[in-house]
Amino acid sequence: MAEKPWVAFYWCGSCGGCEEAVVDLAEKILDVVNAVNIGFWPVALDFKKSDVEEKPDGFFAVSFINGTIESDEHREMVELLRRKSGLVVAFGSCSHMGGIPSLRNLYDVNDCVDYAYRKTVSTVNPEGTIPLPRYKHPSGHETTTMNLEPTGKALDQVIDVDYYLPGCSVPKHLILDAVMAILSGNLPPKGSVLSPSKALCSVCPRQETKPEKMQIKDIKRHHLSEDDGTCFNAQGMICMGPATRSGCGDPAKDNAPRCILVNMPCHGCFGPPDGTLDQGMAMLSAIASGLDYTPDEEAEIDRIIKKIGDLAGTFYMFSTAKSLIHGRPAGEGVKKPVEVPKEGGA
Amino acid sequence: MYEPKIVAFFCNWCTYTGADLAGVSRMQYAPNVRIIRVMCSGRVDPELVMKAFAEGADGVLIGGCHPGDCHYQSGNHKTFRRYKFLKAILPQYGLDPERLHLEWISASEGDKVRDTVNSFTEKIRNLGPSTVRETLNALRTEEVSHG
Amino acid sequence: MSEKGNGKLPRIGVYICHCGLNIANVVDVEAVAEFAGKLPGVVVAKAYKYMCSDPGLEMIKADIKEQNLERVVVASCSPLLHEQTFRRAIQEGGILNPYLYTHVNIREHVSWVHASEPAKATEKAKALVAAAVRRVSAHKPLERKRVDVNPDVLVLGGGIAGIQASLVLADSGKKVYLVEREPSIGGHMAKFDKTFPTLDCAACILTPKMAQVGNHPNIELLTYSELKEIEGYVGNFKAKVLKKSRHLYLEKCTACGECAKVCPVEIPSAFDENLAKRKATYRPFPQAVPNKFVIERLGYPPCQAACPIHQNAYGYMMMVKEGKFAEALEVVLRDNPLPSLCGWVCTHPCTDTCTRGKVDAPLNMPGIKRFIADHAGDFALPMPKDFKENGKKVAVIGGGPAGLTAAYELRKRGYQVTIYEAAGTLGGMPAITIPDYRLPKDVLKKDTDRIAATGIEVRLNTALGKDVSLSEITKQYSAVFIAVGASKNRRLGVPGEDNSWVLPGLEFLGRVNSGERPNLGRRVVVIGGGLVAVDAARTAVRLGANVTLVCIESWEEMFARRTSEGQKEVEQMKAEGVEVLTRWGPKEFKSGGIELKSVIRVFDESGRFSPQYDETKTRFLECDTAIVAIGQAPDSDLFKSQGLSVTSWGGLDVDPVTLQTNIENVFAGGDVLGPDVVVTAMMAGKKAAESIDRFLNGRDLYEGRELEGPFEGVARPMDLERVERKPAIRMPEREPSVRIKDFADVHSTYSPEDAQKEASRCLMCSICCDCQLCKPACPVEGCIDYSIPDEEIELNVGAVVVATGFKIFDPKRIPSYGYGKYPEVYTSLEIERLVNSSGPTEGKLVMKNGQPPKSVAIVHCVGSRDKNYNEYCSRVCCMYSLKLAHLVHERTGAEVYNFYIDMRTPGKGYEEFYHKLLDEGIHFIRGRVAEITDWAIEPSEKGKLVVRVEDTMAGMVRRIPVDMVILSVGLEPQPDAQDIRRLLKLSCSSEGFFLERHPKLAPVSTVTAGIYIAGACQGPKDIPDTVAQAGAAAGEVLAMVDRGYIELEPIKAHIDAEDCSGCKMCNGLCPYDAITYDKERKVSEINEVLCEGCGTCVAACPSGAIDQDLFENQELLYEIEGVLKYV
Repeated sequence: MAEKPWVAFYWCGSCGGCEEAVVDLAEKILDVVNAVNIGFWPVALDFKKSDVEEKPDGFFAVSFINGTIESDEHREMVELLRRKSGLVVAFGSCSHMGGIPSLRNLYDVNDCVDYAYRKTVSTVNPEGTIPLPRYKHPSGHETTTMNLEPTGKALDQVIDVDYYLPGCSVPKHLILDAVMAILSGNLPPKGSVLSPSKALCSVCPRQETKPEKMQIKDIKRHHLSEDDGTCFNAQGMICMGPATRSGCGDPAKDNAPRCILVNMPCHGCFGPPDGTLDQGMAMLSAIASGLDYTPDEEAEIDRIIKKIGDLAGTFYMFSTAKSLIHGRPAGEGVKKPVEVPKEGGA
Repeated sequence: MYEPKIVAFFCNWCTYTGADLAGVSRMQYAPNVRIIRVMCSGRVDPELVMKAFAEGADGVLIGGCHPGDCHYQSGNHKTFRRYKFLKAILPQYGLDPERLHLEWISASEGDKVRDTVNSFTEKIRNLGPSTVRETLNALRTEEVSHG
Repeated sequence: MSEKGNGKLPRIGVYICHCGLNIANVVDVEAVAEFAGKLPGVVVAKAYKYMCSDPGLEMIKADIKEQNLERVVVASCSPLLHEQTFRRAIQEGGILNPYLYTHVNIREHVSWVHASEPAKATEKAKALVAAAVRRVSAHKPLERKRVDVNPDVLVLGGGIAGIQASLVLADSGKKVYLVEREPSIGGHMAKFDKTFPTLDCAACILTPKMAQVGNHPNIELLTYSELKEIEGYVGNFKAKVLKKSRHLYLEKCTACGECAKVCPVEIPSAFDENLAKRKATYRPFPQAVPNKFVIERLGYPPCQAACPIHQNAYGYMMMVKEGKFAEALEVVLRDNPLPSLCGWVCTHPCTDTCTRGKVDAPLNMPGIKRFIADHAGDFALPMPKDFKENGKKVAVIGGGPAGLTAAYELRKRGYQVTIYEAAGTLGGMPAITIPDYRLPKDVLKKDTDRIAATGIEVRLNTALGKDVSLSEITKQYSAVFIAVGASKNRRLGVPGEDNSWVLPGLEFLGRVNSGERPNLGRRVVVIGGGLVAVDAARTAVRLGANVTLVCIESWEEMFARRTSEGQKEVEQMKAEGVEVLTRWGPKEFKSGGIELKSVIRVFDESGRFSPQYDETKTRFLECDTAIVAIGQAPDSDLFKSQGLSVTSWGGLDVDPVTLQTNIENVFAGGDVLGPDVVVTAMMAGKKAAESIDRFLNGRDLYEGRELEGPFEGVARPMDLERVERKPAIRMPEREPSVRIKDFADVHSTYSPEDAQKEASRCLMCSICCDCQLCKPACPVEGCIDYSIPDEEIELNVGAVVVATGFKIFDPKRIPSYGYGKYPEVYTSLEIERLVNSSGPTEGKLVMKNGQPPKSVAIVHCVGSRDKNYNEYCSRVCCMYSLKLAHLVHERTGAEVYNFYIDMRTPGKGYEEFYHKLLDEGIHFIRGRVAEITDWAIEPSEKGKLVVRVEDTMAGMVRRIPVDMVILSVGLEPQPDAQDIRRLLKLSCSSEGFFLERHPKLAPVSTVTAGIYIAGACQGPKDIPDTVAQAGAAAGEVLAMVDRGYIELEPIKAHIDAEDCSGCKMCNGLCPYDAITYDKERKVSEINEVLCEGCGTCVAACPSGAIDQDLFENQELLYEIEGVLKYV
């Protein structure tokens, strides 16, 4: 039998959930481990950058990279892995679409640092120190950390990506399918997202409860309203399902979307169907169009908007980096983002 | 001095015809607005608006029939609601909501086409150029270089 | 939506049109072509003088072949003009699908609007071309869908345009529905006398055509009808038309005119420009088509609407005006069995809503009604012709107005009715308490006897709860109506109220009424502000006391003064020397008088009655007798004792609509619900009778009773400023000093002459007065039927011709011309009627004084060519002014002066006509008239109208005195043109005339396929042009209809089932309900026949499953890229 293919795992700006996802394969991980050699996995095993550098280009059959590209360090690492790998798979929402970390694209990066190190309620930082990219100790010893990118980016906004595994985090069955596909070599066209393109509603257990016509009279906030068990959007609780590709659901549970199964509206972590250019705008358009108000009822429309509150956070929770305008353009007119009411006026 | 680039989505029945009337009446207005014809302002997908900004438009203008006059009965109602949503989300993206404007212009209001185009062009001129395009170019080059 | 990666680019040809100099003068077309040549995919890029000319088109076709082009872009004029031309061309080229094409508008949108900035214009042109080039690469071949065309046609408007179009269409075998809102077709032309320049009479050439329309087998004439709704699309419209009721059967009417002879209503005739009158039952003019009458009812008379029993006051007014007093009585008795009682004491809410009241004073309806009753003397109440006993027994408890009315209404329906009355006489509260000077006993008795005489059993001196119990009665009768009134005096509840010299109002009035004459002493104080208090006060006066009336309300709030009738009462009371003391309430009855406390307020913020007093601010009022008349209350204990449920404030608890009590076959109404006036009680009687009848026949108690009781009526539109003032005729009234000496009637009834005079003040609010005289007058059995309702019919047609015409400019808008101020200033249309032999003066042109004018001024351009009114030229005024000048001169020999700005006489024989008039010695003065005034400076100007004008030829201001002035008013869009525009989705020019698709190339088609316009609704034009345009419109319709199908632009939206997740976000968005959900496949689908291609659903689809042909996401995304990428 030929030598087992080498595999690399790496994380960028990430919560670690995707790493967990791999570990969560539990006993199934053994099949993977039996099938491949793991040549780089800093989270789990003791590897150094040099371990990759010394490998010949294209050494790794595949690299699974998760997390948002947030810094020059991430850049450096993924560019390195790109060179050393046959295939690169963007692993999870963050590397797929920027993910939640890329919501920071709506703010000036310096404001973000300032907020994170000085302003959060949990911060105790009387001197107001913030980490420096470079620090020269009086002793002469110099340490470098990293430079933050002006915006958080999806993996393919930095390097060329072969496949995408969507989800926050990537569900088991998709990981296994992907690994098996790669091993067996029967792969879809390059650039494919490795989950069905059809939107979530197609597999939603609440699909049957949709009314003939979606006319939305009011917006409800999920955590403040009673759920009557019907389609969330029909209830006025924004559910990203219509603008989100399916595949999160466990085949063992007839693919029923995992959030819906626990009575949560979809937040869109799987990203848009192939047919959709900009997940957030697509859903925004659908909701706005569905409102049952005429132009002379402008006040009602304003009320609804106020009630949604954080529009970007609602429609772009996972896809800001891949939105059409990616994030706050440098030096654009409105400096500070508008304050959005915490409860969206609900 | 910078010349604003403005993309306009005009509905076939009212505003586009109104713009034709302005032409036939030889009304003179600012040359900064580039008109894209759609059958109804209801066709104007927010994605199209964002696409225009992404491609470097300094402003986007939407023109439709007056409420109640829509050739398709209520297409412009949906336009209006999407417009309101866009106006609300643009600032979150750091874009000045003033860069997007909606105007009801009927087929008989050539003068209104002229006035709207002129005033909107002035407004955008004062706002200065949009930097969306540049910001994205940075990304694109990377994509290309690796593509 | 998504961006699909672009593979190999198609071979594109780009063609830039000079459009002569139209484009090339501004845009550097060669530069644009050169630029285009460098764009990705472009293999040919040329500029040419006239792209749309044959050589231009040939060039494109040739290139397609030689360069095997796969896409074509042409930059020229607006796509609305020539897109089709080029599509056709590349198709004829035989190689390309017509939709592999994009049209760029660099004329209307570039060269014409940026003439002063050639460089920037050229840049913009480049951007637009780049956009098109990028876009067209994404185009796909498309097929036009064919849809069958319904050959039937709808024509809106029965003027000469509509007539012509209908005839052309009908003659070629098409079914035509001609809808006209007036009762006859003919439009404005029917009003004209002669037509210019040939001077042949309008009627002579029009009426034969009208007749043709009337008789044409292919034309269905829908007169007196209006378009209400229209949906669908070219070839397949569905129209809803409202046929207003003529209140007679068209096929039966023989136009004999007997109905009009007897019709009492005369209003100004719109057809005669209000110079003559016409009846409510009328036909606009003798040659009307269809030659049928119409009984015109408009709105609902405010007086009748305001009356709780809907007494047809308008009806009896008309009868009295005509001196038809017996018929008047009939009208009264139709709704009201107690004419005298009402005539004497009803508060007449009708008078408060009388439209005449807004002009001078409301009509005296009570007076007239009383006159009718008085004048009739003895008469019996009418019973239905088909009266039949139905054997069922109903008891009515209480013989007051409510009980009596109910009894009569039930009797008419065939019930055996028994009235139980506690008192010794029928009549209830009015009989017991209303003093003789207001309601003589014998008058009331006549009314009550008449009701009893219809076969009703009356048991007097039988009180409920005392002599008989409700349970006993319910045993014997199938249903019971309780109307025992409110007999209990309300008490003040202040100290000393039980003093012997303090009398309850009702008790006092009752005693006096029964003949007693109690001695009240010298000074009497009456407490209360209502009508009973007023009665008590005036009675006390007649007993020789000087009386002070004290009420807590202010003068304005005073209960008695809430109706105009009550106000009369109060005035009369004051005239009789009663002093009124407002905003004081009794604090205590002390020996020798009453201590009063001042009132802070009577009603709270929400208008509820809750008086507040300032106990510290008091005054003492000496008196020998005090009468407390602060209202009455129902006897709630009595009701409870009979097992009836009672409201919190003591009234009987009944269903407001049905008057049903808690006992299902017991109904109750009138003052038992709380004290109110006579007529309200009568309404209760009527409602109860209806309910009981329904109840006993097991019919629904609620259905269709919305219009019971008072509501707000609608008067026909009237210009109240212009209504002639006519002072009210008062009923003879005895001197106060005399009348306080006895209890005899204050008034004496109208003389027949006065009654007629007063009645003739009526403004005839609803035209037909429902007097029902015409039905018997009609010789044709069953022709007239007042119950015929308006009818809505649905028509399926393939095309619509709009020929709704114009309205004339209203010269009142130019005050300096004195129209409406000086009687001898006329509009041209009025003169048309005056010189018309079938007009109000049989063609004699005379002034209001009957004399022919010796000099006449004709003022041109009134409301036209004037920035303040209409900037446009109305085109016809010069010519019709010449025509009128000729006719006036010919008929009267008067000197005729034309005041014109420019003479505009283009057209066959027009200029010649002008010269003919010059030779006839008509004066022409060039200059816009400044003012028309009766202010004489020279003696020669005395009694004449002076036209002040600057004669721009003579270069001097002139004053020209004339007898008569004719204003040549311009043409304006119909007042409701905008509604039609909305209905048919048309566009209007800024003046409000309907917009043609192209001013030159498509003058009768509109932006909405299948809808065509003809005549003055498109813009001012004369008869020849109108007829020509109507013919053209008909031709366009035939061209479309005869092909049998139309091809729809392939702009339909479609859903890709592969991508649709069935989220249903789109289903509610389609205005045409074209989107449905397929339960089986769990996806939504679009019915492409219903889809009109707006693309709203495409923009809303969250999963990019919907796309629209020719406006595909990809195409638009490319267009956006292209328009911004290069320049």
